[in-house]
Amino acid sequence: MSQVSQETSPTGTRATQAIGVLALAVMAWVVASGLLLTPQDVVQGESVRIMYVHVPSAWIAYLAFVFTAVASAGWLISKKHSMGFDRFAGASAEVGVMFMAITLITGSLWGRLTWGEFWQWDPRLTTTAFLFVTYIGYLAVRRLEGSVEQRARRSAVVALLAVLEIPLVHFSVVLWRSLHQGATVLNPNGDVKMDDLMLFTLFSGVVGFTLVFIWLVLHRQRTMLLVDVADNQGLDLAIVARRAEGPAN
Amino acid sequence: MELTPRPIEPAKKPRKWLPIILLTLVGLGGVVIVTQFLRSAIDYYCNVDEIGVRSGCEETTRLRVQGTVEQNSLQKIGSNTSFVMTFNNKSINVVYSGDPGGIFQECISVVAHGRMIDGTFESNRIEVKHSNEYAEKNADRIESSGSAACSQAQG
Repeated sequence: MSQVSQETSPTGTRATQAIGVLALAVMAWVVASGLLLTPQDVVQGESVRIMYVHVPSAWIAYLAFVFTAVASAGWLISKKHSMGFDRFAGASAEVGVMFMAITLITGSLWGRLTWGEFWQWDPRLTTTAFLFVTYIGYLAVRRLEGSVEQRARRSAVVALLAVLEIPLVHFSVVLWRSLHQGATVLNPNGDVKMDDLMLFTLFSGVVGFTLVFIWLVLHRQRTMLLVDVADNQGLDLAIVARRAEGPAN
Repeated sequence: MELTPRPIEPAKKPRKWLPIILLTLVGLGGVVIVTQFLRSAIDYYCNVDEIGVRSGCEETTRLRVQGTVEQNSLQKIGSNTSFVMTFNNKSINVVYSGDPGGIFQECISVVAHGRMIDGTFESNRIEVKHSNEYAEKNADRIESSGSAACSQAQG
């Protein structure tokens, strides 16, 4: 393992450091504005502040899963089958699952304060839970026995199917009657009914969470590269050791 | 005589598109089935005007009914809460066993769980269905948060 760390770059670069610092700065603003500067909602009161985490984390989870699908398609279509596509897909899915978990937890807390229930099997909540479980399954597929190519092929097919759930989740509140409220920003009428500072803080949250997503994915896919390199080197060392033993008796 | 082995051209493998296309079609088929044919099974509630009219909203079964709490209809009767719930110009009387609490108030959309008994909807669970509108709570305004919900409902 020490050989690996000497021969390959660390996961941090100047670019990731800059992204990390920027992410911290934007998230600090979101926390300050979300908790102290934005007003209470006229109906929901203080509980509206959960929105500044809940909504951006949901959007970034969708974005992460779309990136996973695009990178998976890239791996399948490219003639060289570059493993960079596969590592990016895996890293993006892992971070996406984390953001989806944040969405479910914050949504559950918000639901308790407004609906009076932590959870209800309504269309939006059920499809979101299904999406979350699907991507847990995707991560499980990535850990099945086999070569890195087998891993990439299996998981790419799962990713391309799983991404089809996202429109179903997003439009579940339009397609069916749901306890969950309809979209405010991405509503079909384009008429956003939200206080200006609330809206600005919400978009700041989206920017901040996007930067955190980029920072995490860059580091994670580089860590995955190191693991793949270490695995290959382990195989090479085993072959060298076997050869050193001489011909079999 | 040149005896060097000729380089062997790697055989071109046909791309396996068929399984991918089939799996995609299966996925899309699933989406169509869920969105088109399971609508009534997936819908979370019946609206007030659909009780006894729409399939799955029969008065004889336990229902989840959605409507807006009528302004000036909210009353406390002992430990019960009584109000009129309206949707699409159709109203029902609701008696809830307890105090809904939370952000429950007049002019807000709610989903009540319960049964129709002698023309009254007897409910033992109420969920507040908050809107997708967010406005500043202004301390200078005379209106309470309850009437604020009414003014928000009126646009």
